[in-house]
Amino acid sequence: MSGFYSEVSSQIVEQVSVAPDCYLLTLKAPQVAAAANPGQFVMLRCSTGYDPFLRRPLSIHQVLREQGKIRFLYRVKGKGTAWLSERKPGERVSLLGPLGRGFVYSEKKKKGLLVGAGIGVAPLLFLAEELASLEWQLVTLIGARTASQVLRGDAFSRCGAVKVITEDGSAGERGLLLQLLERELRENDFDVIFGCGPLPVLKGIQEFSRRFGIPAQIALEERMACGVGACLGCVCQARDRTYLRVCREGPVFAADEVILDG
Amino acid sequence: MVDLSVEIAGIRMKNPVMVASGTFGFGLEYAQLFDLSRLGAIVTKALTVEPWPGNPPPRIWETPAGLLNAIGLQNPGVEVFADEILPELKKFDIPVIANIAGFTKEEFAELASRLTGTGVSGLEVNISCPNVKAGGMVFGTVPELAAEVVEAVVSSTSLPVIVKLTPNVTDIVAVAKAVVEAGAHALSLINTLLGMAIDIHRKKPVLANVTGGLSGPAIRPVAVRAVWQVSQAVDVPVVGMGGICTGSDALEFILAGATAVAVGSANFYDPLSSVKVVEEIENYCIEHGVESLHELVGAAWKN
Ligand SMILES: Cc1cc2nc3c(=O)[nH]c(=O)nc-3n(C[C@H](O)[C@H](O)[C@H](O)COP(=O)(O)OP(=O)(O)OC[C@H]3O[C@@H](n4cnc5c(N)ncnc54)[C@H](O)[C@@H]3O)c2cc1C
Ligand SMILES: Cc1cc2nc3c(=O)[nH]c(=O)nc-3n(C[C@H](O)[C@H](O)[C@H](O)COP(=O)(O)O)c2cc1C
Ligand code: FES
Repeated sequence: MSGFYSEVSSQIVEQVSVAPDCYLLTLKAPQVAAAANPGQFVMLRCSTGYDPFLRRPLSIHQVLREQGKIRFLYRVKGKGTAWLSERKPGERVSLLGPLGRGFVYSEKKKKGLLVGAGIGVAPLLFLAEELASLEWQLVTLIGARTASQVLRGDAFSRCGAVKVITEDGSAGERGLLLQLLERELRENDFDVIFGCGPLPVLKGIQEFSRRFGIPAQIALEERMACGVGACLGCVCQARDRTYLRVCREGPVFAADEVILDG
Repeated sequence: MVDLSVEIAGIRMKNPVMVASGTFGFGLEYAQLFDLSRLGAIVTKALTVEPWPGNPPPRIWETPAGLLNAIGLQNPGVEVFADEILPELKKFDIPVIANIAGFTKEEFAELASRLTGTGVSGLEVNISCPNVKAGGMVFGTVPELAAEVVEAVVSSTSLPVIVKLTPNVTDIVAVAKAVVEAGAHALSLINTLLGMAIDIHRKKPVLANVTGGLSGPAIRPVAVRAVWQVSQAVDVPVVGMGGICTGSDALEFILAGATAVAVGSANFYDPLSSVKVVEEIENYCIEHGVESLHELVGAAWKN
């Protein structure tokens, strides 16, 4: 569902570096905090002038409802995120949100498997905290290249079990996230998988979801201009070959709903 | 009280600010953000006869102070628009202008006749979309072909007909004169400039469609020049667009000869920019003692 969104000038409360090039940004945004659902995102303006011209989509990473605050976890990729990383507490940023359709879950206690690769854990913490409060039983798999890229493991562990795997073995097991996922699905029962990460990981989740017969929901990324469904710039392909807007019908899709290319 | 009202080809607008086709969806996406009736008019995303899937992604790429897009006319088709979307839009007190795109002259005529009597206030004939190989651009770049399309449209409808011109021609005035001769009631300009970008890591074009249309502040001087030239050469009103973000930007177009303006890509930067443009134009008029906007239209070349 796309509920009510607004355009707000929001004050930075805190900005901390949690890993090389990765930041945890806390903003005061009571309207967004009150309306947001896990998996939704905002469009943040990352400039004072027209360069960059387009706003940048960032997932809502955490919501501190009673304080009216929201958090983002982001990696510096280019000039927009670099600009954002230089902003200091007290400064204001313009954001539009909450946007898009987030994760879908029933309120019943179920068993959920969360799969996050690198910065892909960003939308999953908000979800984990909501599900934990609904007494879901959660296992979170976090994959990264190396130990310093394993983000927010402690926060996830407050919501359930956490298993870490790194490509160089510097934290948790050594290997690839998809290997860990396959083993987890073989050894344990889950009602649903929730995933976010780069395309190969999403494709792996799609494949395992089919093979193990467990429904999965995945958060997609596409280049965006408007973020609200107006420009048709951000589409992905549905199974019936029509195009769906990642910002409106997504960014979270049922894994069997979309065709992942590349 | 400043009189900001204008009339374009019989379409009465309470102020001269529209939103540009394709940058505002069908308007409903933004309806919860502000009262749409504060705008002069809404121009819809391009409509085709049949539902049209559009181009594969990636469809957009940011450029300095602008963006390239290759949406490829994705839309649900004129039937769904007329039966399902338009009734929703009609709830707002604002003229709705339907942007139409045919792949043949006959399709343009069919679109025009289908939309007549539905409650749209006018048509914007898109003979200038750069992203569809079979269509638009060819019509818009050749004065004779452009005129044939306009004749077909005008003879199929009683609605006001605005013809949207492409800047991707050597002589935009020649095309403008040809379509006015063929019966266009007004002109809108400019559509996007043909461009492309290459991913140096993949060593391939960034957009799946290879080329795309450039829009945003980057193209504004090109658009101002086009409005300046065209508005002096024809007797019909001109709707100016291309990179308008603020009231001052809009005033540049009005002084260059535009009777109305459209805010496009700036909606992405700030979805409230169109209403801010209205307010800023009004403030300018108050400060400069302008009683009616008409005093400003083309003032940069009128003596
Ligand atoms: C719905 C959604 C939610 C997102 N949530 C987060 C989040 O929570 N945390 C986070 O760190 N990032 C997130 N992203 C990605 C983030 O939006 C981009 O990293 C950011 O826009 C990059 O902007 P920039 O100006 O720093 O980089 P640019 O200068 O725009 O780009 C730098 C490089 O990154 C590549 N790139 C940037 N964005 C994308 C993209 N979307 N797809 C493919 N390549 C890209 C470019 O090709 C370029 O090489 C999300 C994206 C979407 C669509
Ligand atoms: C994403 C996008 C989609 C567009 N779709 C259409 C369209 O369907 N029909 C049309 O006539 N123009 C379309 N345009 C062109 C705009 O209406 C406008 O002419 C152009 O972008 C220049 O104005 P701007 O710089 O303010 O955006 C589109 C532009 C953009 C950026
Ligand atoms: S970003 Fe404009 S439709 Fe999704």
